[in-house]
Amino acid sequence: MARQYEEVTVRGYDEFMKAVSQRKGKDVFAYFSGSKNEQGISWCPDCVKAEPIVRGELGYLPPGSVFIYCQVGERSYWKDPNNEFKKTLKLSGVPTLLRYGTPQKLVEEECFKKDLVRMMFTED
Amino acid sequence: MGNSVCKGKTVFMDTTRIKSLQNSSTGVIKAGEHKIKSHLSTESQGLSCFTQDHSDQRDGREIVQGFLGQNKVMIFSVTSCQLSAQVKELFRSMKVSFCVLELDQREDRQEIQQALWELTEQRELPSVFVNRQHIGDWEKTSQAHREGRLQALLDMQEVNLSPDLYDYDLLVIGGGSGGLAAAKEAATYGKKVVVLDYVTPTPKGTTWGLGGTCVNVGCIPKKLMHQAAILGQAIRDSQRYGWELQEKVSHNWRNMRQAVQDHIGSLRFGYSKALRDSKVTYMNAYGEFVGPHQIKATNSKGKETFYTAATFIIATGERPRYLGIPGDKEYCITSDDLFSLPQSPGRTLVVGASYVALECAGFLAGLGLDISVMVRSILLRGFDQHMANKIGEHMEQHGVTFIRQFVPTKVRDEYHPYIFRSSEETVGVELLVYSSFVWFLQVLLAVGRDACTRTIGLDTVGVKINVKTGKIPVNEEEQTNVPHIYAIGDVLEGKLELTPVAIQAGRLLARRLYAEHSTKCDYTNIPTTVFTPLEYGACGLSEEDSIQKYGEDNIEVYHSNFWPLEWTVPARDNNTCYAKIICYKQDSERVVGFHVLGPNAGEMTQGFAAAMKCGMTKEQLDNTIGIHPVCAEVFTTLSVTKRSGGDIAKGGC
Repeated sequence: MARQYEEVTVRGYDEFMKAVSQRKGKDVFAYFSGSKNEQGISWCPDCVKAEPIVRGELGYLPPGSVFIYCQVGERSYWKDPNNEFKKTLKLSGVPTLLRYGTPQKLVEEECFKKDLVRMMFTED
Repeated sequence: MGNSVCKGKTVFMDTTRIKSLQNSSTGVIKAGEHKIKSHLSTESQGLSCFTQDHSDQRDGREIVQGFLGQNKVMIFSVTSCQLSAQVKELFRSMKVSFCVLELDQREDRQEIQQALWELTEQRELPSVFVNRQHIGDWEKTSQAHREGRLQALLDMQEVNLSPDLYDYDLLVIGGGSGGLAAAKEAATYGKKVVVLDYVTPTPKGTTWGLGGTCVNVGCIPKKLMHQAAILGQAIRDSQRYGWELQEKVSHNWRNMRQAVQDHIGSLRFGYSKALRDSKVTYMNAYGEFVGPHQIKATNSKGKETFYTAATFIIATGERPRYLGIPGDKEYCITSDDLFSLPQSPGRTLVVGASYVALECAGFLAGLGLDISVMVRSILLRGFDQHMANKIGEHMEQHGVTFIRQFVPTKVRDEYHPYIFRSSEETVGVELLVYSSFVWFLQVLLAVGRDACTRTIGLDTVGVKINVKTGKIPVNEEEQTNVPHIYAIGDVLEGKLELTPVAIQAGRLLARRLYAEHSTKCDYTNIPTTVFTPLEYGACGLSEEDSIQKYGEDNIEVYHSNFWPLEWTVPARDNNTCYAKIICYKQDSERVVGFHVLGPNAGEMTQGFAAAMKCGMTKEQLDNTIGIHPVCAEVFTTLSVTKRSGGDIAKGGC
């Protein structure tokens, strides 16, 4: 079955903002995760736990929307309170799932709850 | 026969009914899964009892619903009736078991027939139901059988034949302050709860989501915009404190509106999350009663869904009233539209003298707009009038134009003047108040709010409302005249329309319903604040009400002006702020009314409200040492009484 949404994978703040600016006017959902190592495992245990749950609900994304999977960087970069994600995008933790340009945001343990994830993808 | 235990509940059959059983052709008492054997055939027809609690229900509706809930096929019949016999024969021939209630054998025949009429609009017997759906009389039943519909219904999944008769334990209509609080509380006790919330768009097309008036078009955006106006004043004051402003300072409505709407959006999202987390089902749909325990919910696409619940809470709140004059819906806005207006309202006429009118006029003027307020008679009806007039004076001094004793009679489009009429009875002529070169860009109506109770099917279920106001009278437990239907919040008759009141009432109600608590909501001494430019905090009685309740000789009013230290440097508004307490002389001068006009009135009032709940007296107040230098300390040093006529002008500290 053809996907109704576009999935984009980016690394770091600059790539993220570029992806967003190229998709003006679209409904953009972004999932921020600690970066994965060569074995494909993230340093952030909550991100590891939340990712399958979030991916499980992607089928509920509205048609024409965009799902950006963004790896924020290494743990040391993330811990710095002045990193661009924290400063400019106002992220407080990873994982974060948000709907760009709206106040809709799920942070950390909220991402474990598939009901909340589904609600964000389906509510107007 | 007597009692038999059926699935944990005790079943009572009273003796009068047993007698009637012996007269009829039925004999078996089928109690759930326990069949008490009798001499009848295996077709197990008979009078099935329904679980009845010890408070012997005489309510026809409850009885009917009880039978419908417990029996797949239910026939309300009359023994002597030929058509009833034919219906019974039909089901026998289909080898379907059914339950019959012979109404001619019942003392409560009238109530049951009335209930059937209200439910189905059919007076004739027999009245046949399958799976709680009404088929009709003999004609309709045999036609349904011929067309195969009857068999189809019988083949359907058994619906709600267990003691859990309904889809939900609690259904709340209205997802505002009261409704959400009650729903979440009930869910913490493990109850199955559903909330229906739906916002009918305004005539201008404005709409919003979950959260009710307070979050979306009430307290929250109002206070934020009030704060925006206060900051404007602070910028002006700041120059006296040494701040040097390089650029001209002006206000951008669009930026403020966006910031306010962003915050409201995040609050709304928070509510959605909280509801989901607490396992409350939320439907964005308009709810109407269609049966004693049944609601029809219509969503924005017109799709109808039906829900049943054991208990209901009506928390539908209110919406702004229009004047009923030509052009009001086409050309005027209300508070429902104001907070999301995409561009600045500009030169605005506010019609009304409610706190909504004065608060809106106040902050709009504070943002630099040219504002006029049209008042039919008095300001802030129901509030202490002395305080209300001081609020009005302050607004006038700060540039708001009051047009007193006029009402609009017609509103035309923006390029023509509006026509007004004097509210004095003697003047019955339409006057052109303003010349044609002067007009308003916006007319904001704030003439009151109407309860949303007229189109939710309350007459179907018999919930009494005040026909004139639409408000619902309830007892001390927020129960309407229908025992399983409750109401909370702004829809209530005679209660203060405030968010915290609704929340408290909702929470306590849920606790009483599901957690064996007995605490009732205390509606006395509720503190309030009006966020006009000069804020007004109050708790307890107004001067008028205390005179009426205790008599002028039995109360003592202490008062004083005060000048906030912060306003001295910019040299503004001395002898404007005002403090007043009303004491009941016969009870050690207990404080029965607290009133304050000044900045941060809400913060000032909250603490004193708690003290009043403890029965604070004037002496205790005097014995409390003040905090210096703050406005509230004035309450610890009140000495001049109104009665004495002494001078209360203050020079600051």
